[in-house]
Amino acid sequence: MTELTNTTAVIVTYNRSAKLMKVLDALERQSVPLEMILVVDNASTDDTRTLVEARAMEMPNIRYLRLPKNIGGAGGFHEGIKEAYAQGARYIWVSDDDAYPEPDAIGKLLAASAEFEQRHRWRPSFACSRVEWTDGSLCEMNTPRPVWDWPRFLRPEKAWALVDSCSFVSVLIPRWAVKEHGLPISDYFIWFDDAEYTRRLSRSYPGIFCPESRVIHDTPDNRGVNFGLITHKSLWKFKYGARNETSFRRREQGLAGVLIFAHGVYRQMKQGGVSWKLRWQIFGAILRGLVFRPKIEHV
Amino acid sequence: MHVTSALSADASPEAPDRLHAEISDVIDIYRLLYPSQHLHFLFYEGDDPVWGKPRIIEGELTLTPEHLRPEYLGRLECPGTDETAAVVTILISVPRAPLPNEIKQQDPDWVPFKGLRALFGLCPICYEEIRYKVEMARKRRMKQRHSHVSLPLGKGSRLLPQPQEPASDKRPAILIGAHWLEIGGAEKLALDSVKWAVEAGLRVFVVAGVASLQRLATKLPDSSDVTFIRLDRYLPRDRWPRYVENLVLAENIRLIHIHHCHALYDTLPQIRAKAPWVKVIDSTHIIEHNDGGYPRISLVWSNYVDIHHVISRRLIDYHRDNAGRLSKVVLGRMLEHRNRDVSLPPIAMQTGQKTLDVCFIGRLYYQKRPIVLVEILRALVAWAQKADVELRGTIVGEGPFQSAMTRLMQHYGLGDMFTMQPADCDIPAILDGSDILLLPSNNEGLALVCYEAIEHGCIPISTDIGAQGEIVPADLLLPLAPRAAVRASVDIVDRLWRDKDFLARQKDALHRAWSELAAEPTARDVLTAHYRAATETSPKQ
Repeated sequence: MTELTNTTAVIVTYNRSAKLMKVLDALERQSVPLEMILVVDNASTDDTRTLVEARAMEMPNIRYLRLPKNIGGAGGFHEGIKEAYAQGARYIWVSDDDAYPEPDAIGKLLAASAEFEQRHRWRPSFACSRVEWTDGSLCEMNTPRPVWDWPRFLRPEKAWALVDSCSFVSVLIPRWAVKEHGLPISDYFIWFDDAEYTRRLSRSYPGIFCPESRVIHDTPDNRGVNFGLITHKSLWKFKYGARNETSFRRREQGLAGVLIFAHGVYRQMKQGGVSWKLRWQIFGAILRGLVFRPKIEHV
Repeated sequence: MHVTSALSADASPEAPDRLHAEISDVIDIYRLLYPSQHLHFLFYEGDDPVWGKPRIIEGELTLTPEHLRPEYLGRLECPGTDETAAVVTILISVPRAPLPNEIKQQDPDWVPFKGLRALFGLCPICYEEIRYKVEMARKRRMKQRHSHVSLPLGKGSRLLPQPQEPASDKRPAILIGAHWLEIGGAEKLALDSVKWAVEAGLRVFVVAGVASLQRLATKLPDSSDVTFIRLDRYLPRDRWPRYVENLVLAENIRLIHIHHCHALYDTLPQIRAKAPWVKVIDSTHIIEHNDGGYPRISLVWSNYVDIHHVISRRLIDYHRDNAGRLSKVVLGRMLEHRNRDVSLPPIAMQTGQKTLDVCFIGRLYYQKRPIVLVEILRALVAWAQKADVELRGTIVGEGPFQSAMTRLMQHYGLGDMFTMQPADCDIPAILDGSDILLLPSNNEGLALVCYEAIEHGCIPISTDIGAQGEIVPADLLLPLAPRAAVRASVDIVDRLWRDKDFLARQKDALHRAWSELAAEPTARDVLTAHYRAATETSPKQ
């Protein structure tokens, strides 16, 4: 168990200044002090810079990292975690610019990590919150993936399930895990960067899902990640998702893993009644994923 | 001792106890090493569960950002005897708590060499054979890189002042140095030595030469006379000589007993020059590597050592053949007194019996040839089917080969016939229930488990290596080459099972070998005599 707990929050933002301000409000109210709040701006074109600069006058722990161009959420988290690590953070709390942590959300993640390690001697590679949508229901897209023995240490009073994957919405990553496993893959641009990264971290030991730590994810609607939901408008994101997961499966599971994934995508699209025109584009992304082998950068 | 604290850690509620205990150990070590100096400690949180990465600067340190890196825990200052005391700066990491998997197994799971993985998948014994041949070729090619010549020891002139024993009101003490406190033969003797020294009335200081989790530290006697000093974790090797000198003088240490503890050999010049009254005993077990391993090191330091305690005749021969040394080499077998009075039970195995129980007891490291063992079991299963014998077995041990062995046994369909047991299981019961103990090995001193097997009516079959020939009859010894060892194992078992005369001869030979060994002095006899003698010596008051 680490005796040092200085924590940096990393928020990646792009053209959502109003929601970002609400996130900073929520971070200001946290029950544990944050050494640094690092706002990674993916070259927003709205008033994000002005508002963050003004806010930093009131909150001296805010640091603003403006990227020269939009390199996607994956690139933003890559840069943010890299900077937080370089600045000596012992824990890095990572989240989106539209997710509002409850005042004790980060404190509870820290406490859960420390207590889990104290009780069970294992070091969780990350700790993630329960992510709720604005109406209090579970946020579909932020559902962590449990491991086979997820209830191993789950107790009525400490309901920590073991998980090997979660989204970049309120996840606490210890420094040692970044040192050991490197940074998120920047080249993914968007989608599956969080799943790939947390699965990579959990090679050491799974993460823990801490339902007592809650955040509200203020998304327009509460939809899961399902290839049956592809529309013309969301196609670009799904193409990144298909390419990135194919690349991951190829790396981790070989061609058989890719085939299983492709079959699952096909079934979801068929069940969702996705048009063949869109389906072919997703299959094209899967083919591109077969030869897409981005490098993992280490700190 | 006055300690001014500037620790600035954001400690979690449970952290301080462990942190303070470790820091207290560090301060004790450095206070003894530098009794009068002003000590300035900089502590860091380590990411290593065993090694504190100490760095010593004899003087003031100008701090740079590197010194205040994220792992920085804080500073401590321990004033010297007066204000003009020289400053010593010590930078040290407090190792993190070990993880459960690290506690369970010290080394990562074994995997075959990268280029030969496919071969291992297809034919594990071919893989072993290649590895063996490469090893043998390397051995033949390698020159003897290390010297076997004993280092000369200058005794000095009487015209110059001789070191004087300081007065001490403390009871005599012994310093026992182990290689490490992990499972092993030398380590068992080190732990036994601690017990015997306490029984003899000595205070005991224990150190380990190799940094590790020291899992067997919990087996040290629970006595106020026993102190385990974590030099392995917190003191650089080059500072051991001065530390040991100070410890000897401060604690009235009369004896130093080395059990494969490399770092303690390095302290001997300091001891011989500054505390020549201290008697040095060196125990060695196994001739290893190409040029002897610890017995060779012992031989090199022989002029600094008073008594070479060895556990086998082969080691006596080694000293004789390499240094012509006979007088101070003493044999003390690793047998307990109780063994002498044991009337050996009859060996259980009978020719033509319908069931045959075999076992293996040992650490699952390459030394014990675990893959060859699985191949032997597979060959024995084939033999048993032909001979219409029900074969069963138990494999006792833990180590990096466990996963590979389990997978291979499943692959060969042996999983139902052989059970795997942890190292802390009831070994006498397993030996009682077994007809044959299989012990393939790459390197061995004199395996204790072979003694125990005979005491429990079990026949040991072992590789002809080290001093195994002193306990295992020639007809039950296996060649070192993997394939040949597999073939020979089956041949021996088959002959034991079919040939009544052969079986009877082996039973007699085993009992005879055991009795001959049991009649010889034990390590306990030999060592306790020296320990008792040390309690009767005392410095001038």
